[in-house]
Parts: sequence; structure tokens; C-alpha cells
Amino acid sequence: MSAIDHLSGPADLEEDERQAVETLLYRLADDEFVLAERYTEWQVRSPTLESDLALSNIAQDELGHARLWYDLLEDFGYEEADLIWERDPADFRHATLVELPFEGGDWADAIVRSYLYDEAEHLRLEALEESSYPRIVDRVGKVQAEERYHREHATNWLERLAETDEGRARLQTALDRVFPHALTLFEAVDPDVERRIDEYGIRTRSLEDMGEQWLETVVPFLESLGLEVPLSSDRTVTAEDLPSHVGRDGSHTDDWFDLHDDFTHTYRELGRDSADRIMPDPDDQ
Amino acid sequence: MIWEVFRQEKPGEYHTHCGNVHAPDADMAKLFAEVQHGRRKPTNSLWVVPQREVGEVDAEEATFGGSTDKSYRWAMTYNRVDESFAEEVADSQREQETADREREEVTSGGSA
Repeated sequence: MSAIDHLSGPADLEEDERQAVETLLYRLADDEFVLAERYTEWQVRSPTLESDLALSNIAQDELGHARLWYDLLEDFGYEEADLIWERDPADFRHATLVELPFEGGDWADAIVRSYLYDEAEHLRLEALEESSYPRIVDRVGKVQAEERYHREHATNWLERLAETDEGRARLQTALDRVFPHALTLFEAVDPDVERRIDEYGIRTRSLEDMGEQWLETVVPFLESLGLEVPLSSDRTVTAEDLPSHVGRDGSHTDDWFDLHDDFTHTYRELGRDSADRIMPDPDDQ
Repeated sequence: MIWEVFRQEKPGEYHTHCGNVHAPDADMAKLFAEVQHGRRKPTNSLWVVPQREVGEVDAEEATFGGSTDKSYRWAMTYNRVDESFAEEVADSQREQETADREREEVTSGGSA
């Protein structure tokens, strides 16, 4: 174990430190929340009852994780309404991978997306196990315990869909569509802040480093299934490989603004200014 | 393909049948069963078994317990013993009585 210089609790952070912690938490929470929103669209529409329940359950897991991370943002005085229901959609920091709508009925899209996301999620959670911010460390294990199922689910499905020509063709189409957006998982919200996140040890592995490791994992696996990964041959990510909106920096596809409008609709229509709490605070559980 | 699922709540307890799942193979069946039958109730372990591998013998082809009087199997001869002298005997007797009653209910229910 390296001698980590632990950060103070939320109330005693320096301004720079607080900004770094917040940025990291927004990355985590927004990804999980928005992905769960999208997964939920599959409810009662998945190919079989079993796959429906499995994906709905995964969506619930992701919402639970989002809740854990948003709750740490509440340490800084924000309320749920500030974090979700009344937040400017342009301030969300999720990767564009999670905001894209699913092509109508394309189960291959859900599976490919889930695989690319969960492999990245696995890496970034590992990089938080020994974070210098104790409030994060306390919660990582809980999230990791549920992520095993997600990866297994995605991998098992990928292998089976790839067994036939038709299945493989569908996977390839989905991969071509979402892969550039998956690369945005490792993009910076703000390069200076990301550098500080690493410097303070809030994350023990840089985005670049994790991005490389992720490519080393997903590319060979996808190729072993007979798929072609839409990336330049030397497997390096250049600006050309990225989509025009990367999400992290606040630039989003139009689909995101529609989705945001959808899930905040009821809140606005009812004229709410706060959200009811129906579950105990994660710290009290 | 249908897979029957048996859930064990705590280590050491029996696995009890709790439903089934549709899945193309054993791995997917376990994955689905985990969510479908293990997420809302306390679960220590699941058995996931291909339905066609489950052997069945039912009351139409078998006479469970036989058709002649075999009440000597039930340890009712202790009926007149003062059960307070041994908890164990008392427990056993109650167990036998319950089993006997249930057996009678099933038999009479079936022939009615």
C-alpha cells in the first residue's frame, strides 16, 4: 500500500480539492443515472421475459449506484432537485454512450453498449478502491458487488448473438454506431481538473491509462467474436475517432435534451420544487 | 428450453422448488434465475436444472405408501406413554401424528 495522503471530509476540502471530487462524482453519477434511464426503455420490450427482468434489474442496480454517488454530492449542500430535476441538461457530465437512444428493438445495441460500458466501469471502480477520498472508498465495494453480474450478462449475450451470421451482423451495426461514443467514457470534463483528480489521488489511475487498458480488453474480445472494431489500425484513439459530441465537456447530442425533457416532465408538470425521499440515506443503511 | 429452479434460503436447508426460467443453455439459465428467483427473497444458493432431466413418478402410476394397512410404520404405539418424561418422544409422536393426518387427507382427498 502506498502512503496515500488522505483528503479531508467534505466540509474541510480546499476549493481545488472540492472541485476535483465533485467533478469525479458527476462523471460517475451522471453515467449511471442516464444509462439506467435508457435501459428502462426496454422494460416490457425485451426479447423474452427473462431478458426483460435481467436488464430491468441491471437498470435498478445502476440507479442505486447513481444514488450512492449523488448522495456524496449532497455532502456539498446540493439537493436532489439541484442534481437531477432542476439541473441544466448542458451541465450533465455523462459520456454520450449512455444518452443515445436504442435503435428501435435492437437488442444487439443494448448488449454491445452494456458490454463496452461495464468493462469501463470495472476499470474505473478499481481505480477508486484506494481513493484518497474516504467517502468514495466506503461505497466502491457495494457498487462492484453488483457489477459482476452486468459484465457476465453482457459477455454471455455477446457470445451467443455472435454465433450466427445474422446475430453477428446486428452486433457489427450496433458496434459501428456506439463504439465512437464509448470512447468518450475516457474523455475529460476539463483537462486541468482531471489532472488534479489524479494528482490528489482521488482516482489512482488516469483516464488515458484506463482508456488504453480498456482497448486492450475489449478490442481482442470483440475481434474473437468475428467483429471489426471501428478504430484506426494501430489502436490509438485520435480526435477523428471521437464523435462530434463527447458529453463529458457538456456537449451532448439532441437525443440527450429530449431524454432530459422526458424524465423531468412530470416534475415540471406538477410544479415541484423538491423531490420526496422514499428511502433512508445510504449512510444510515 | 425450460429450466426448473430450486432455492435454498440458508446454508444447510433444503433447496425448494420456486419456479422456472426459459433460457437457451445452462449459463444463461443461471444468470436469469439469479435475477428472477434470487433477488427478492433471501437466497443462499440456487439449483438450476433442465426440466427434461427431472424424473417424475406420480400418483397415477404409483401407490404411494402402498394400499394395505401399514400403520405400524407410524410410531403410534407410544400413544399411551406419558410424554412428559422425554421431550424427544413427544416431538417424535407429534411429528408422526401430523404426518399420518396429512397422509390421510391426501388419500381421502384423492379418492373423493
